Amino acid sequence: MPWKCLHLPVILLLALFIFPVSASAHKVNIFAFVEAGVVYAESYFPDGRPIVAGQVSVFDSQGELLLQGETDQDGLFQFPLPKEDVLRLVIDAGMGHKNSYQLKKTASNE
Amino acid sequence: MHIITLALLLGLYLAQPALAHFGAIIPATDIISPADPTELGLEVKFIHPLEQHYMEMAKPKAFGVRVRGEVQNLLPTLLPAKGRSREQPRDFTYWRSTYSVKRPGDYLFFLEPQPYWEPIEDLFIVHYTKVCVNALGLEDSWDQPLGMETEIVPLSRPYGLWTNNLFSGQVLLKGVPAAFAEVEVEYLNASPGNPSLVVPPAAPYVTQVVKADANGVFHYAMPRAGWWGFSALSEADWTLPQAGEQKAVEIGAVIWVRTRDMQ
Repeated sequence: MPWKCLHLPVILLLALFIFPVSASAHKVNIFAFVEAGVVYAESYFPDGRPIVAGQVSVFDSQGELLLQGETDQDGLFQFPLPKEDVLRLVIDAGMGHKNSYQLKKTASNE
Repeated sequence: MHIITLALLLGLYLAQPALAHFGAIIPATDIISPADPTELGLEVKFIHPLEQHYMEMAKPKAFGVRVRGEVQNLLPTLLPAKGRSREQPRDFTYWRSTYSVKRPGDYLFFLEPQPYWEPIEDLFIVHYTKVCVNALGLEDSWDQPLGMETEIVPLSRPYGLWTNNLFSGQVLLKGVPAAFAEVEVEYLNASPGNPSLVVPPAAPYVTQVVKADANGVFHYAMPRAGWWGFSALSEADWTLPQAGEQKAVEIGAVIWVRTRDMQ
């Protein structure tokens, strides 16, 4: 049955598209808090593994992009509090894996 | 004449279904999402969950939470409250707490009550109780035991459960799987959103009973949305004094989980 042998690489290739990496099946998360004027953002998969090199975008309450950055090896990204406002942090880990966290103004004042 | 009366009374007493007591920690929710309030209300009770009976509850010996490997004592947060079922002639004490969830993770709330003397069973009851609340998507420790004297370690993630899901857990007694342990299961009739009170058609429907296998593992499929209590009972290898006599102690490993309907 030579046709089976021919199709196998095609099937494997398709499988790569369907299951690119196991981590992509997991939801990405971002959380942040403010301490002494610095915003500490943490990104993680549900099991606690960090999201490495995730793109983080920070928006103000008007939806204006304030800054962008990338999470480090531990899934962390920190930056000086850019504005006394309700901030929305969006993490984009590629392949449509996105999530956001709203940082309350009261939390910024803590 | 008196003997007949006594016999009748005894017959009536024996005809009563054995009521299952449950230690309970019922949080306002089992999942905290980014848009949710971070203040979490908790009720700490000793009840018959299906029949909604309260039992008087002394201030617990221990009440706390473990998150990210750190244990916090929440005893000082407990405030007494009163409650009773419609059939009960008086109020009973239960406890309330409010906890501020600040960070992502699995919040494992636990309770060790004061021993409860149950004269009609001629024993003390101590239910080591827990419930897991997940915050902000970090599902890091729901499957880790707290190290209580007896404990149900969930094999099904104990939140985000649909109605009719099978709940599986392992009963541990002093950290060792409790072979063939008996697990009592009850629905909390006072569950928020319960559209109508469940009326058991016969006594055995009040408390469902399943047995664990040789590895202490049990399963139960939960047929209704709301909170479900699982209680694995053992006899302690220690006793407590009551009126000059040493009495047996029933220890229970209790866990509460919540189901929601698919919509």
